[in-house]
Amino acid sequence: MRSVTINPAKICQPIGAMYALFGVHAAVPLVHGSQGCSAYPMRMFNRHFGEPVQVAVSSLGEDASVFGGKKNLVESIKNVIARRHPELIGVMTTCLSETIGDDIDGIISEGNYEDSKVVPIHTPSYVGSHVTGYDNALKALVTHLSEESEPANAKLNILPGMVNPGDVIEIKQMLDPMNISYSILSDISETLNAPLMLPKPPFPRGGSSVAELEDCANARGVIALCEHAGGSAAVYLKGKYGMAADTICPIGVANTDHFLDAVGDMTGAKIPYSLERERGRLIDAMVDVHMKTCGKRAAIFADPDIALALAEFVTELGMEPVIVSSSTASRKFLQKAKSVTDGEILNGRDLYELQRAVKDNEVDILFGNTKCTPIAKDEDVAFVRCGFPVYDRVGYHRYGFMGYHGGVYLTDLIANAILEWGERG
Amino acid sequence: MPLTLLNSDKAIPEREKHTYIKAGSENILPLSNVQTTPGDFTERGCTYAGCMGVVCGPIKDVIHLVHGPIGCAYWTWGGGTRQNLSDNPSFHGKYCFSTDMQEDNIIFGGEDKLYKSILEAHEEFPEASGVFVHSTCAIGLIGDDLGGVCKRAEQEIGIRVIPFNCEGFRGCSQSLGHHIANDTLFERVVGTKEPEELTDYDMNIIGDYNIQGDLWAIMPLFERMGIRILCTFTGNASVDEIAQAHRAKLNLMHCQRSTPYICNLMEEKYGIPVVKATLFGIEQTSKALRDVAAFFGLEDKAEEIIKEDVAQIAPKIEAYRSKFVGKRVFIYQGAPRAWHWINMFREFGVETIAAATTFGHEDDYAKICERVNDGALVIDNPNSLELEEILTDLKPDLFISGLKEKYLAYKLGVPFINGHAYEKGPYAAYSGFLNFARDVEKTLFAPVWGLIRRVNDA
Repeated sequence: MRSVTINPAKICQPIGAMYALFGVHAAVPLVHGSQGCSAYPMRMFNRHFGEPVQVAVSSLGEDASVFGGKKNLVESIKNVIARRHPELIGVMTTCLSETIGDDIDGIISEGNYEDSKVVPIHTPSYVGSHVTGYDNALKALVTHLSEESEPANAKLNILPGMVNPGDVIEIKQMLDPMNISYSILSDISETLNAPLMLPKPPFPRGGSSVAELEDCANARGVIALCEHAGGSAAVYLKGKYGMAADTICPIGVANTDHFLDAVGDMTGAKIPYSLERERGRLIDAMVDVHMKTCGKRAAIFADPDIALALAEFVTELGMEPVIVSSSTASRKFLQKAKSVTDGEILNGRDLYELQRAVKDNEVDILFGNTKCTPIAKDEDVAFVRCGFPVYDRVGYHRYGFMGYHGGVYLTDLIANAILEWGERG
Repeated sequence: MPLTLLNSDKAIPEREKHTYIKAGSENILPLSNVQTTPGDFTERGCTYAGCMGVVCGPIKDVIHLVHGPIGCAYWTWGGGTRQNLSDNPSFHGKYCFSTDMQEDNIIFGGEDKLYKSILEAHEEFPEASGVFVHSTCAIGLIGDDLGGVCKRAEQEIGIRVIPFNCEGFRGCSQSLGHHIANDTLFERVVGTKEPEELTDYDMNIIGDYNIQGDLWAIMPLFERMGIRILCTFTGNASVDEIAQAHRAKLNLMHCQRSTPYICNLMEEKYGIPVVKATLFGIEQTSKALRDVAAFFGLEDKAEEIIKEDVAQIAPKIEAYRSKFVGKRVFIYQGAPRAWHWINMFREFGVETIAAATTFGHEDDYAKICERVNDGALVIDNPNSLELEEILTDLKPDLFISGLKEKYLAYKLGVPFINGHAYEKGPYAAYSGFLNFARDVEKTLFAPVWGLIRRVNDA
């Protein structure tokens, strides 16, 4: 295997942690590192979501890098609280502060923050990827904030992972007619898809509340939609509070069926007729285009759980997932990928390798983020944009692939990509 | 009114020194180029951004290998959000190279992985003219011998392998990164190749990064005068062009924040004089042409070109002026464009009511203060809370800034132009001025602004 990475498939941990924090109402991500570690990820959020985001940074300079960053961190927290009065500050580390060896847990525990919660999140950039960063952030949030109180409630915790606001909306639209009580942790559906209405609120409307995070201990169950991005928090909640836990990424017919079954099992709720109708609409959409989709050879690149679920969905569409490629290397991904494809599995390999694989496998259609656009052009394959970041087209964050209704949208995207590709000749 | 403290800064009174309301009778400049107040929501970037992101990244025919964990390379891939065009798009900006340092590399050192990475990158792209190695934060702490590894690799592969010690934490902003890039390119590249032929009219354009093709609007003006552009530093530059830059008769310096260092070094060592220029707007572009022409004795040619080109755009600019006159703009740029554009807007009859830079030094603020009217707010390294306060309280008709501030402006209902990456440039020179005017018109008069409602929360 090459030492050099050419065209990386992954980003580093802090951006994933920010992603999780943006779904908490009135939360401020505070990066303990150098200024590039806030400025650069902000731009990626701006590009993908078309939204402003605010990230604080402790601005470590040369002195701090030699003598330690405690002073900068303490001052940063003080300044953020004084000027923003956030409900939550997530302090995330970087390769710089981790290599310096700052004890952020110790530093944070020494302070008194009145109404703001301050949670340490370890996100060293030299371990894992953005997905790991999301996972670590969510685990840190539930670990530090969840509080058991009597009596336990009938709530369900849904951990969506690094998905789009549109996906979260799809999940809510399935759960609402089931009349169950649930918390989405964390919920970016409004915070990163905010309306333009004046006056602009100090923090975006929506998001999970800190109270919801505290209360997540008392739920009857937890479902992580992305095992690699939220799974650790689900495992923690199950272990600590003994609640039921499951991991299902509801993309495609069978996965959505399983998701709703799991919700039903945990809550006793029945699947309402309205969702059966939506399922029927998805099947209808799939039948309508099966002559276009059947037999097509698909290359799928995404974060691990999304990649696996997409591979299952394209199989339902009669396509063959000849390449399944994960942004992030993981043993679990590798195991599961073997059960969804007989084709080539790229476990955390770079996009230069993905392009090689696309060349070798006579691919018809590629699924990937904007960084894959040049591959689709070079190799002349149909292209469906998915994942993060997508910034060479607008609006992808608004729509979800999850659930039956999201499946209809995805089915249409796939069919239209194939049609457009056919028209190019 | 002298220095002032914005409402959002009550808790961080040190920001007062950076915030100045211009008064003609005073000789005050806001404090600049110092460490950011920790946790103040700065918009600043890092030293790596200044070196790799701004100065080196546009060089089109080398492998830019980022030594560190993966993020830093990812951010500057394809120029990041910058739009440095080149005529080598099948390589430049298309590929992103990183050593992707893992935990064991941080513990045991990354030299082996770096060495192998250089060799492998060269093997995959043997046509590249060199390998530039940019080191990031963690590397500066673990003490990899970057110079030693690059030297060994250079001997092995036979093309330039140049280390840039541009760890993000080194400076207080991107600015030190510019300096590191200038010094390294001067020491390691400039003067290492002789041009095949020389003319009496060889000139370098220093400090233009070909944002959306600015150079392609600028260069023909000088070429029509009879000048040969030997090197563009660094927009659309090849490493060989930089190597032979020392034979130019004149350096024309555009970005006067990111490149005075190399201009000074070339003046000292090779005696190349410098003409500082602003190539935005009619008056400033014409002045730049005249200054260069005066140096080369090409005044008549310059006047011909100015006459011809200005005649083409002047009526259109006049038409825009009649629509824009009386509007008020807030300009927030990296540094020089904050003052380059004050005069450009004045040609439209647009007044700059606030100006700010991310990493400007005293000389930038001196130029800003010279150009703005009394009462204008001049603010250094503004943070996002200050920006929101300024946009809300001063209510400019237009905000011209970068991507990070774009959606803040939109959410506040303020028309916006991306001055870093442009909307649809180029914006430089005469033809670019028309593009700029067209984009300003689009955002100022977009009907959607009139549809925004004030709604109280339910």
